[in-house]
Amino acid sequence: MNKCKLMRELSAVKFAAWELHLYLDTHPCDEKALEMHKKYSARAKELTEEYEECFGPLTHESDSGLAWVKNPWPWEYMECDC
Amino acid sequence: MFQYEKKLQYPVKIKNPNPKLAQVIISQFGGPDGELAASMRYFSQRYGMPLPELKGLLTDIATEELSHLEMVGAIVYQLTRNLTIDEIKKSGFDKYFVDHTTGIYPVAASGAPFTAAYLQSKGDVITDLHEDLAAEQKARTTYDNILRLVDDPDVRDPIKFLREREIVHYQRFGEAWQTKWNDYGGAADKTA
Repeated sequence: MNKCKLMRELSAVKFAAWELHLYLDTHPCDEKALEMHKKYSARAKELTEEYEECFGPLTHESDSGLAWVKNPWPWEYMECDC
Repeated sequence: MFQYEKKLQYPVKIKNPNPKLAQVIISQFGGPDGELAASMRYFSQRYGMPLPELKGLLTDIATEELSHLEMVGAIVYQLTRNLTIDEIKKSGFDKYFVDHTTGIYPVAASGAPFTAAYLQSKGDVITDLHEDLAAEQKARTTYDNILRLVDDPDVRDPIKFLREREIVHYQRFGEAWQTKWNDYGGAADKTA
């Protein structure tokens, strides 16, 4: 999968997990939401590993040094190729 | 503690620079109802929250607002890249440019620099939650005004995402207020 497409999929899955997490702050006993949060978080972990293997670290714990500092940084314009 | 993730919460890909738009959008970076004020408001207030659910919610929303600050910075940055002096003069960006060049500085569209006076942390759960509900609506109105002023779909797309987040945060703060505070009994003197 190309970088832009993989990042969009990763962002969508991470967003779903995050949105459920916020919901669970005010509905901490909602079992369906807890289950969905677990499912999306697991998928986000898989996609993060796939992304990092191809395109470099997203956090310093995955890699450091040259792999970390290399361009582009998230605020820089990258043409969409997906 | 906080750990950086090298990605935006939602993609920002603006093909065409436009310094005129940057000058209004920067208000959501350092203006009165912007993302910096939002993040600092919730970070500061969370220490005074009496219930674990509210500590969690304030921490999480403060964290998300910092991601929004990063997105607004990216929008302004991409709108002001590769400018000629002529474009800077014609667009009215010269007033910002003279002080900051194309650096990203926390400032309102009017030119007023960021100040902590934009936010409050009162140490009172009722007062703070009401400030938060109002803050989300003020930010939503500002995004609505930006959408009134902007035609470029590359800019509208992330702005619409940010606008929607204000509505979701308002919803969560409302739930926190209605359910959690009522569960607690609603007596302020318990926590003074």
